[in-house]
Amino acid sequence: MNAWGALAGGFAGTLVLTTTLRAANELNLTRMDLPFLLGTAFTADRTRAKALGYILHFLVGLVFALIYYAIFVAIGHSGWWLGAVFGLAHGLFSGTALVDTLLPLVHPRMGTRSTAAPSVALLEPPGFLMLNYGAQTPLVSLAAHIGYGALVGGFISLAS
Amino acid sequence: MTNSKRAEAEPRPRADGFAPIRDYAAIGDGRAVAMVARDGAIDWLCLPDLDSPSVFGALLDAEEGGSFELRPSMPYQVERRYRPGTNVLETTFHTDGGVARVVDAMTTAGPGLAPFRELARRVEGLAGDVSLSWRIEPRFGYAQATTRIGRRLGIPVATAGARAVAVQCWNAGEAATDQVSIGGSLNVRAGESALIALSAADQEPLVFSSREQVEARIDATARAWADWSGARDYDGHWGEAVIRSALALKLLVYAPSGAVAAAATTSLPEEIGGERNWDYRFCWVRDSAFTLGAFLGLGCAEDAHAYFWWLMQASQLTKPRLRVLYRLDGGADAPERTLPLNGYRASRPVRIGNAAAAQLQLDTYGELLQTAWLYATSGHRIDRDIARRLAEMADLVCRIWRHPDAGIWEVRSRSRHFTQSKMMCWVALDRAGDLARRGLIPDRHAQRWAREAQAIRDFVETRCFSHEKRSYVRHPDSDELDASLLLGVLLSYGDPRSDRWAGTIEALRRELGNGPFVHRYSGEDGVEGSEGAFLTCSFWLAEALARSGRVEDAVELMDQLVELSNDVGLYSEEVELATGALLGNLPQGLSHLALIGAALAVTEAMAA
Repeated sequence: MNAWGALAGGFAGTLVLTTTLRAANELNLTRMDLPFLLGTAFTADRTRAKALGYILHFLVGLVFALIYYAIFVAIGHSGWWLGAVFGLAHGLFSGTALVDTLLPLVHPRMGTRSTAAPSVALLEPPGFLMLNYGAQTPLVSLAAHIGYGALVGGFISLAS
Repeated sequence: MTNSKRAEAEPRPRADGFAPIRDYAAIGDGRAVAMVARDGAIDWLCLPDLDSPSVFGALLDAEEGGSFELRPSMPYQVERRYRPGTNVLETTFHTDGGVARVVDAMTTAGPGLAPFRELARRVEGLAGDVSLSWRIEPRFGYAQATTRIGRRLGIPVATAGARAVAVQCWNAGEAATDQVSIGGSLNVRAGESALIALSAADQEPLVFSSREQVEARIDATARAWADWSGARDYDGHWGEAVIRSALALKLLVYAPSGAVAAAATTSLPEEIGGERNWDYRFCWVRDSAFTLGAFLGLGCAEDAHAYFWWLMQASQLTKPRLRVLYRLDGGADAPERTLPLNGYRASRPVRIGNAAAAQLQLDTYGELLQTAWLYATSGHRIDRDIARRLAEMADLVCRIWRHPDAGIWEVRSRSRHFTQSKMMCWVALDRAGDLARRGLIPDRHAQRWAREAQAIRDFVETRCFSHEKRSYVRHPDSDELDASLLLGVLLSYGDPRSDRWAGTIEALRRELGNGPFVHRYSGEDGVEGSEGAFLTCSFWLAEALARSGRVEDAVELMDQLVELSNDVGLYSEEVELATGALLGNLPQGLSHLALIGAALAVTEAMAA
């Protein structure tokens, strides 16, 4: 186990997670677009937001991989299956506290359930488990995060 | 609004417990809307959002629905107005003993920890001495959920599952509770005031406020509305009606997402006692071009931007196809069901959800591409993903315009080749072609769009025009008429000054018109009963007259139409010709959008 393995796993995992979500967009399974959500926190230009969002998303993916690594070191175990379990927990946390509750509070262009007239929100809030973005969103998100976690866990356990 | 509308009058008597639809004013906070009758009763409030189940539903069931009554304890006369430029309502009661004013607001801003939603009612003594009584009967879940009344810290609360409301009052008498209600009585003298605040919570603890905080939020709410309306850009002949319409429209904007509901209510009937009762608490793509046009025309750039973003986000799941309507949270499903309520004056069924969501309505593609065209040509940027989706939508129109559909009026009879649907398909391809020429969307299939647009035009001109009536007709080879054909003039299908359009406008006035009123169509629609005149069509007619060069006729019609609102400037969907009673859901976004659009167009034509 080492941090380089975590970073490599974080990069590969984020690549898979991002690609999975983008594919789900194209298949009309979900309207969730994490790079777009992140990027629009900094700009109202949709094109720039997506480009910036992808960069931010990869950075966030690396940070989470390091957090996984720290926990693996603390408990003395690692592996793709344990990473997948972490990914499941990570996905649930993202869909409930992180994106549903915390992101709308800090995102300057996202509405919250408390946004009132005459304010204008540019982005609808995700809702519980991000269900506002489509009924399949929780499943897509969980599958993508489990894949991310498995890759991070696998890369960390392989790195010596 | 005329002085006659503002004059004091005894409240019209309720029929079987129901106030006339005309008697309702709307207050809201960009999330929920309450309907306040002239007698001071709040008979409709859904919490926490305007498409949530009702807490006060007496509008649809006078006995079981629940309401918040507040009125003098003696005979009175009443006058009302919105505080200028705001959605804060002032109802003034005149009694033999004195005069008292009730200020109603759903608060939006202000100091302190604000409740999740807050309805505040301030009673101000203006002269003499007035006794009033109040009674709150909450009935959660469209009166289907079990509502429990209790107290927290001595404050009366009503709860049902994860939802709750608390009733705080100051100088409003001792709040007494029983198993179903909370109420009291008060007496105000000139210069005194009382306050009753209803604080609502959903999946979180109730928030209790001080009187100073509630008072400050009422004032801050009024200032926020006045600031917003003060920034609107219209100085034409019908300024008061236009600004009131803009404020009514803003009440229907669901602030958390930017979606715009078609109306704040469900199942207010198009025919008293009839079955034409629909849930309008959804966002219709049909309204998109009017909505964006109104926002842009009145200088609401932020609202226009937010609305377009929401529309493109909501329609992403079904791309390139469009649903007829979307929920305010962006969802595409709106399953229709009926509620065991008695209905407004026995107009049943009471429906929630809307089965029209699953219909094919070809006109929506024209309206959405017109919306995108308006957005792009007003200086906003269309990004690559959306540009690609718009082009795919035009491709889809090429494939499906030959299909029969349910049409803009969402008929529940068999699908037909509605002329207006075909015209809007032409609009879709025409606007797509223009966007492609401007380099704003991919132009790979532009030649095909032009070819199919010409084919649509050939179809409409050869099959959908009656030489006998000198008019376009509702569908091919028929002699039925349809007022939605006026949208062809409004959205530049052909030359608005052509003989064909002149003949169509005359035929519509002759066969569907009655004074300033216009019915939607002749012929069947698959629903039992009849309906009133459709106010939106009257405004469309005014705009069509202006665009076709008959400006004086348009001005005359507009002058008549702005007199048809209720005492506070609101319109529902329809008017019963025999009585002048308003029918249908209220406030009706499309009526107000059509008013704004017509006022802008006629004003422009007057200046030309």
